[in-house]
Amino acid sequence: MPDALLEVEDLRIHFPTQDGLVKSVDGVSFRLERGRTLGIVGESGSGKSVTSLGIMGLHHGSRAEITGHIRLDGEDLVAASPARVRELRGSKMAMIFQDPLSSLHPYYTIGNQIIEAYRVHHPDATKRQARQRAVEMLDRVGIPQPSARVDDYPHQFSGGMRQRVMIAMALCNDPGLLIADEPTTALDVTVQAQILDLIHDLQSEFGSAVIMITHDLGVVAELSDDILVMYAGRAAEYGSAADIFASPGHPYTWGLLASMPRMDRERLTRLVPIPGTPPSLIRVPPGCPFHPRCRYGHLNGGRSETEVPELRDTEHTGHLVACHLTAAERAKQWALLAAGKVPEDARTGAGAHAGDTA
Amino acid sequence: MRRRRTFGLAAAGAAAALMLAACSSGGSSSSGGNGSGSGSGSSAAYNAGVTSVVNPSTHKGGTLTFDWRAAPDSFDPGNTYYAADWDFARFYSTALMTFKNCPGTCGKTLVPALATAPGVASNNGLTWTYHIKSGVKYEDGSTVTSKDVKYAVERTFDRGVLPNGPNYFANLLGGNAAKYPGPYKDKAKDKMGLTAIDTPDATTVVFHLKAPFSDMDYLLTIPQSAPVPPAKDTGASYQTHIVSTGPYKFQSYQLNKTAVLVPNPQWNASMFPTVSQLPSKIVVNLNMNPNDVDNRLLAGDAQVDFAGTGVQAAARAKILANPNLKSHADDPVTGFGWFFYIDSQVAPFTNLACRQAVEYAANHLTLQNAYGGPVAGGDIGSTVMPPTVAGYQKFDLYEATTKTQGDPAKAKQMLQACGKPNGFSTGLAYRSDRPTETQGAQALQQSLSAVGIKLTLHGYPSSTYFSNFAGVPKYMSSHGIGLAMGGWGADWPDGYGFLSQLVSGPSIVPAGNTNIGMLNDPVVNNLFTKAAGITDEAQRNAIWGQIDHQVMKDAVIVPIVYAKALIYRPPTLSNVYFNQAYQLNNYAVEGVTG
Amino acid sequence: MVTFIIRRLVGTIFLLIVVSMITFAIFFLIPRLAGQNTYQLAAQYVGRNPTRPAVLAVERQLGLADPLYLQYGRFLRGILFGAHYRSGPDVTYCPPPCFGYSFRSQLPVWPQMISDVPVTLSLAIGASILWLIGGVSIGVLSALRKGTLFDRFSMGIALAGVSLPVFFTGLISLELFSYKWPLFPNVQYVPITSNPVEWARNLVLPWIVLAFLYAALYARLTRAGMLETMSEDYIRTARAKGLPERKVIVKHGLRAALTPIVTIFGMDLGLLLGGAIITEVTFSLHGLGLFTVQAVNNQDLPEILGVTMLAAFFIVIANLVVDIFYAVVDPRVRF
Repeated sequence: MPDALLEVEDLRIHFPTQDGLVKSVDGVSFRLERGRTLGIVGESGSGKSVTSLGIMGLHHGSRAEITGHIRLDGEDLVAASPARVRELRGSKMAMIFQDPLSSLHPYYTIGNQIIEAYRVHHPDATKRQARQRAVEMLDRVGIPQPSARVDDYPHQFSGGMRQRVMIAMALCNDPGLLIADEPTTALDVTVQAQILDLIHDLQSEFGSAVIMITHDLGVVAELSDDILVMYAGRAAEYGSAADIFASPGHPYTWGLLASMPRMDRERLTRLVPIPGTPPSLIRVPPGCPFHPRCRYGHLNGGRSETEVPELRDTEHTGHLVACHLTAAERAKQWALLAAGKVPEDARTGAGAHAGDTA
Repeated sequence: MRRRRTFGLAAAGAAAALMLAACSSGGSSSSGGNGSGSGSGSSAAYNAGVTSVVNPSTHKGGTLTFDWRAAPDSFDPGNTYYAADWDFARFYSTALMTFKNCPGTCGKTLVPALATAPGVASNNGLTWTYHIKSGVKYEDGSTVTSKDVKYAVERTFDRGVLPNGPNYFANLLGGNAAKYPGPYKDKAKDKMGLTAIDTPDATTVVFHLKAPFSDMDYLLTIPQSAPVPPAKDTGASYQTHIVSTGPYKFQSYQLNKTAVLVPNPQWNASMFPTVSQLPSKIVVNLNMNPNDVDNRLLAGDAQVDFAGTGVQAAARAKILANPNLKSHADDPVTGFGWFFYIDSQVAPFTNLACRQAVEYAANHLTLQNAYGGPVAGGDIGSTVMPPTVAGYQKFDLYEATTKTQGDPAKAKQMLQACGKPNGFSTGLAYRSDRPTETQGAQALQQSLSAVGIKLTLHGYPSSTYFSNFAGVPKYMSSHGIGLAMGGWGADWPDGYGFLSQLVSGPSIVPAGNTNIGMLNDPVVNNLFTKAAGITDEAQRNAIWGQIDHQVMKDAVIVPIVYAKALIYRPPTLSNVYFNQAYQLNNYAVEGVTG
Repeated sequence: MVTFIIRRLVGTIFLLIVVSMITFAIFFLIPRLAGQNTYQLAAQYVGRNPTRPAVLAVERQLGLADPLYLQYGRFLRGILFGAHYRSGPDVTYCPPPCFGYSFRSQLPVWPQMISDVPVTLSLAIGASILWLIGGVSIGVLSALRKGTLFDRFSMGIALAGVSLPVFFTGLISLELFSYKWPLFPNVQYVPITSNPVEWARNLVLPWIVLAFLYAALYARLTRAGMLETMSEDYIRTARAKGLPERKVIVKHGLRAALTPIVTIFGMDLGLLLGGAIITEVTFSLHGLGLFTVQAVNNQDLPEILGVTMLAAFFIVIANLVVDIFYAVVDPRVRF
């Protein structure tokens, strides 16, 4: 196995609040190699964004309790000093966000903001060099007339252009890791593909590893090498994109796939939503956290209500699923589902109170 | 009447100030000065300054600081009507007459200032002749002549330019006085067109009156008769360039802010024993915060409260609680009277018995408390004139001092007599920005309601109280306001000075009226005329008493208190005593020691 | 931008005219509605026992009996071209801007008013620097340490500062620091030109008292603004870039949080320049605030008009400066 650029091991990020302990991330592990892309998929509240901010060390200053390991190039970021993490931020790992307008400071020109990002990690660079770098980066992300537009303010750009600016800013220090947190959600549909293409192109050019965080499996489908499906702060399923799309192992993944409009899967004629809402992270349901919303809970004799399923290997190496169902049962059910047969809900009204566990 | 000013914002800080007094009365020893320098006079004791000179000293030097919560109407001696200003003006101006430099009743004695002797009346009291001291010099070294005195009086005739001073000259003088427009519009070449005043030589001034007026010497104590050099008169702006004949002259004067006076080297001490030249500098701070004035006095930052109307509630509590501070305070009867008027032209007060019902019904005790109680307010009054005014006679027609809580039974009898056995309704005007008057109005409302007289309270702002409301007879009658709160102080300390503007028929005017009782009693009017022709002071004083009696009988004024004021005198202030003529401490002889 | 400024300045002139007309109307029309005539009005400016000839003379001298439009016209003409005035022996000329002659002192209003400006200016500027520095830094610290003892303590003090009136804090401070422990004895205004040290010494208490009131407000505003700003996405971006926290707070957080505060600051300062009435009265500082109080107490129309217009002028100019400032700091604002 090649050395991983990023290795996350049993990461737990908990927030104590007045109402109780919020276990936003509760024992997540994954690894990412240079040049590869990991898609982290889940609904809001699944812990995917908290994980990425945890990697960036951006929970510092909040009351987050972080345990486990985050190794970037072998260096454990959980144990590292905040100052060291700050040094790495922006230089070895960078991040772009969902809403490029609010993520850019309205009072400073984009040039100023890129130059600032560059110079903080290149203290010896002159202003002129930094500016040159900014123009160069803007050019690379496809901003026309970059040397003129470098002095424009964020509000003078369109949404897609702003996200390009964010990408330029994130990549100006040539980071090994780029985390893109829902980079296209706030953009027009027509622009989304362009941005994803851009990220993909730049990844090959810079050779960086990318974590693509999204609630939309469609986004990661083409870009990702690996996929981590998160549910209620835990990994529900983890494996290569090929495996997961070919034989998804977790009923939650099935739900995500079923609720995704796709051209190539005509058999699934109708979109099947996942019943209920994600659980409260303060009172995660006992047993399998997904069980209140699961249509297959009756198939394992009640284990899912008491026993937390472990992330276990499937028949494919590196494809892990956290589900009490047997591999055979899962294959059977997925086949049925893929054939367009939505199972009868064994437990009537399961969805109705699923979200009310709090 | 001379004005008193209360500062509107005083009330705002009162609560905070009271709290301050409470929290600092314990350990305050700010008056730790070592008291009198030369021990020959009266030592510091409570009320010592009422009857004796406290801390007498001839020590020269130091800065004497006056703090004033207000500002003068004008420092121009011809254009001021403030008691404190008249007292202070003697530092830089010299009227023909003045009052003797001594405490107690002696201080009301008339003595010459610029004149060599009191006036000599002739021609049946129609002509008054004065001689002025020769060799008196202005601050610029030029000599004062009788023409300058005449000019000074003449310029007060131009009421458009100098509107503030009293009107006595225009009313009393004969010749062309009724029509004389003042020197600024005077067609005569030397601007000496007023025929009622002759200046036969450089030291003689002769006043020709249209009717006898025996209070002439008193009238000429007013700074309006202090000489003004015609060449230096700049009219309205003379107040900022006053040419001094007194012991001090203005070094600088920033209008409404500060005035600094320094000794006038041209002044001859031997000529003017009634004033002195002790401090090397006099500073007057104007428009100061009233509570801060008290604190500055207690801290020694200032020596004199210019207004002289007593300390505020906070300082009063502090002073009365601390024996050391109290020994540096006086509580004299000031000569000012607080009362309320009964407008005899407003029904049902056109009926004497209805007015007398009010006299009986009023609860004098609650009214006294409203005005601050016995120390700050004063003693319950039963006469129009306070005891310090020459001519005062003690009498009590309506049991004010014997039945201090009022006599409802008598009041009911009077109501019966006036045909209103069940009482009636009327209005009461008062100045709503004065806490004492507001409380007084409420107290009065309560006590009169006991006999069925229902009062509607009408509060007005001080600034327009006389010009627009209580002083406008038409307004009072058309709004059915029969009662009005007020107060009064004499222009000079005899019955004429106190009573003439208050109760004489001819003094009634359509706006700014001060005879708010609208008394036009022939008995009273004739007594005024009679007194004006009598040169003997004792006889005249007897008449003032008769007028007072008659006015009380007419029941147009209900006396509340003979005002008192708690005045603090810092230990370093020398030659301090209460002057009954000015109803204030005698400023012009004070100095600083230590 | 330049046209904007010119347009605003022209608007300012119109506004001042309107302000003067309203003041004029309030002074003359409202008493008239209450049944007052010009004779009564004139009677206010005569000393005690206002005889008829005296009142008529004053009425004539002040021109009170003239029709209102004439009086107002005279007022405007005086400002533009100056005015001539019978002051006694001579006719004196009052050069423009002549705001007329005081009804009380019969002296020109303008020099009186202008001589009060340095006092108010000293008070307002000194205090505003104090409260801006104090209020903003406390607010920032409170926001960054939200929920800590420091935050609670300083916000408690701030609440007290906002609630306590100046005539209370002013008197307390005088009592304590001028009389009980005379750190600042005998507080009296000294012009900066005659002695800068004394100038400052005498103004320290008023500055602190006035600044306390505003600092409290600004601390709360800054805290709220910082809390809001620091949760903005662009702050997260700034941190993600690896910027040092100090730079994140100052360059990215404070800059944005301060903009609305500077706006309020401009307005507050403009308002204060028209006179910090209660502070000036409490400390007996002869600035425009005390001038206003006296003018109103004395019913002195020319003084009231003058000081109202001056105050309005300061406020309008402050407004303009704030608007220009906004355009400078916030690139999204354009005229």
